[in-house]
Amino acid sequence: MIGTYFRKMTATTQSPPRVSLAEICWSWLGGFLGIAAVAYLNYGWLDATGLLLIIGSFGASAVLIYGAIKSPLAQPRNLLGGHVLSALIGVTAFNLLAPHLWLAAALAVATSIALMHATKTLHPPGGATALIAVIGGPQVTNLGYLYALMPVGAGALIMLAVALLVNNLAPRRRYPEFWW
Amino acid sequence: MPDNVKDFPTGIDLKDEDIYEAMQGIPGYLDITSGDFKELYSLAYRRALERLSRAVTAAEIMTTDVVAVKPGTPVAEVAAAMGRRGVSGVPVVNAGHKVVGVISEKDFLSRMGVKEPRNFMSLVAGCLLTKGCVALPIKRALAADLMTSPAVTVAPDTPVRDIAALLTQKGINRVAVTDPAGRLLGLVCRGDIVKATMGRGAS
Repeated sequence: MIGTYFRKMTATTQSPPRVSLAEICWSWLGGFLGIAAVAYLNYGWLDATGLLLIIGSFGASAVLIYGAIKSPLAQPRNLLGGHVLSALIGVTAFNLLAPHLWLAAALAVATSIALMHATKTLHPPGGATALIAVIGGPQVTNLGYLYALMPVGAGALIMLAVALLVNNLAPRRRYPEFWW
Repeated sequence: MPDNVKDFPTGIDLKDEDIYEAMQGIPGYLDITSGDFKELYSLAYRRALERLSRAVTAAEIMTTDVVAVKPGTPVAEVAAAMGRRGVSGVPVVNAGHKVVGVISEKDFLSRMGVKEPRNFMSLVAGCLLTKGCVALPIKRALAADLMTSPAVTVAPDTPVRDIAALLTQKGINRVAVTDPAGRLLGLVCRGDIVKATMGRGAS
């Protein structure tokens, strides 16, 4: 019994193959343009207003929607649904549990994973979005539920638009696999 | 990969290298391991087989060119007909073409004094151990005397999967396919099922 348990920690298969150089270049271009769009708008236009358009979890989304575009985790439903639902969970956890931030943080991430599973919107960066809602400091927590709309919803939409435009420029790429 | 999947026949012996190379042939990053793919493929293959065997019905695979005998046919004629056609069993139908029984080699063997009639070899053994023909006890018998009755029958829309289960469960080799009134439409034997599986599975 114990043996079986530890045997499960040994691997059963191998890592998937490395992608081609062309694929690497397209992933780089998508990541660059996607983050450039939200970062430029954030720093160029919103800095003075106290509003935000970029959060750390978008870096993780970029890996998926420009680097692993066939993945179910990278599809529009998951990108938008995962971020927005997780943001709502994060803000709620903060509102209910602050100043016990350790508990709010853990509940926010765990609950957002569960909710994304239940709604078929699993998107790993969503966990970061929920966490940032708790640990992001006054600049984030002062937004309240607006956080789910902006930066999270609006930023994810811009990233999605870039993914649709750039990924489909590549002759051997096609995005998305499914919309909803 | 769970053990129940690892050993499941996938139709072909799919190697990890095959999957790995196939993945290299698809541009873009696939976030699935070859192990996961194999598991998925095995399960999908099993489902496809089940779906196909569920979908095919008795009517599609039955033999319609069937020799049927009457209850009053002498067994000598029955045996001759079976020999001519190279079949090991025939349905017995009455005047209204309704199936009243089936006669198989087993029915002959069990009435010819062969104890524990398992197959033709037990008859040969019986022949070699006694004087005279072991068929003598049934020389004057009629089909009605030998047949197994009532016959096991199925409707034309019975799935092949269910027929296979029926044959195994009853330890028989063929079933008569009948219309709702019990009239003979055809015969499904084990060979028909094997042929149907080959035709569908291979394509």
